[in-house]
Amino acid sequence: MKKSYKYGLLVVALAFLGYNSVYFKKLSAVRAESGAEFDFQAYADSIYYQGMLKNDRTVGLPALLAAVRADADGAFEKYGNRLGIGNSAYFMVSCSGKIAEITADGISLVTDDAETISVNTRYIFGNALRDASGLVKLTDFKTNADFNRVSEALNALIRTKIIPPVVQQLQAGDRIAVTGAVKLSKKALEYPEIVITPAQIKPE
Amino acid sequence: MRRIIKTAWLLCLILLSFWACSSDKQADREAKKVAVVISTLNNPWFVVLAESAAEDVRALGYEAKIFDSQNNPATESDNFENLIASGFDAILFNPTDADGSIVNILKAKAAGVPVFCMDREVNADDAATSQILSDNYSGCVELGVEFVKTLGGAGDYVELLGLVGDNNTWARSGGFHSVVDEFPDLKMVAQQSADFDRNRAMEVMETILQAQPDIKAVFCGNDAMAMGALQALQAADKVSQVRIFGFDGAADVVEKIGEGKIVATGMQYPKVMAQTAARFAHEYFEGRREFPQRIPVEVELVDAENVAGYRE
Repeated sequence: MKKSYKYGLLVVALAFLGYNSVYFKKLSAVRAESGAEFDFQAYADSIYYQGMLKNDRTVGLPALLAAVRADADGAFEKYGNRLGIGNSAYFMVSCSGKIAEITADGISLVTDDAETISVNTRYIFGNALRDASGLVKLTDFKTNADFNRVSEALNALIRTKIIPPVVQQLQAGDRIAVTGAVKLSKKALEYPEIVITPAQIKPE
Repeated sequence: MRRIIKTAWLLCLILLSFWACSSDKQADREAKKVAVVISTLNNPWFVVLAESAAEDVRALGYEAKIFDSQNNPATESDNFENLIASGFDAILFNPTDADGSIVNILKAKAAGVPVFCMDREVNADDAATSQILSDNYSGCVELGVEFVKTLGGAGDYVELLGLVGDNNTWARSGGFHSVVDEFPDLKMVAQQSADFDRNRAMEVMETILQAQPDIKAVFCGNDAMAMGALQALQAADKVSQVRIFGFDGAADVVEKIGEGKIVATGMQYPKVMAQTAARFAHEYFEGRREFPQRIPVEVELVDAENVAGYRE
């Protein structure tokens, strides 16, 4: 009888130790936990509200285009941001003008210099705003994947919260001021197609 | 007269010492050996990367040898052990696995051999001397936007992924989905790996088409898979129904874009990556020790509008 108690206690002890020494978790839960170390959304908010709109790098669009026509390399060096190797760079620009047309994809704007440009309000994706701002360094993050998540959080904020309420109030003929990112390539400088990815649109 | 002879002797001595120095330097260069270790030579894109890197190394005056890892981490590991034992002085490296390849880089690092990664990133920022990588994410964001516009923001589609252990696979898929997932009327009905391989992609696409005959598009993680998908779609007589998107900028895909059979691809620059890696190895031999850990190389969108500028 004593022996059976002994074995019973042993089995209970082994079961207790075994149960507490092995844990099973869903891979998605583990990934979510490891990703929770850095709050990309809070970081994107801080970039947007504390840095992007007060950025010293912002240049007037007409001034940028004039500088590019006069000395492309100099203008890319002074105002642009190119991470790594490539023909293009991102620039943070500002401009004002009158709305010619509003579509689901964006706004056609006639600037004060009579240039017709596009303001892309639908496809706010990629690294245009992050890189044009020059506020985030590649070396701040251990992997490219994390570096790109900053863009995703920043784009989501601007695409879903900042731009739609403003655009809903606008109509053709209104005057607006736009601050945002432009991509220019040294391969196509003669007649560059200007598409601004907006960080802010303000009715004037 | 004596003075003239003395001066002539002195000049000769100076010239001789210059010649000796330069020949020493040349001999030193010839003695340096650079290994080019490539994930697979079974894909034309990687053949271009390997041969360009080897040519650039030779043009700088060093010896170069190409090693094929055959997409197998075990073969890659053997390659590293052999080349370290054989006294190679630097490695231009295209890894097989973002995590599994780190140990090989660390072995080389422990042996004092610098490693310059090309095209494929490893998940460590303190192993390789530098990593020169295509900006896959940005390239696929642009492809994602093109994809949404082409499909009018609605329809069923499939995605063919590359090797699941390769960061490029997920960087490309991530860039694409960062756009496409924001359009709820675009529905991904199948997502399967075809290992960046043309034949495998053709087989996978044939199987998918049997279950999903009404798809509107296929996004492929590289151009070899886009060509495989095209073959499957041609066999099923669905080329006009299913829009194909690739990534790499391979010459055959650029041609198919011109013919209207493939919508778009992302143009990568393997020669630029190879040249930069070779130059870095040279600079390392010359004494440079500080290198940027990661250098993105721009990827350009190629579609029907600009394809003329990318034809060889």
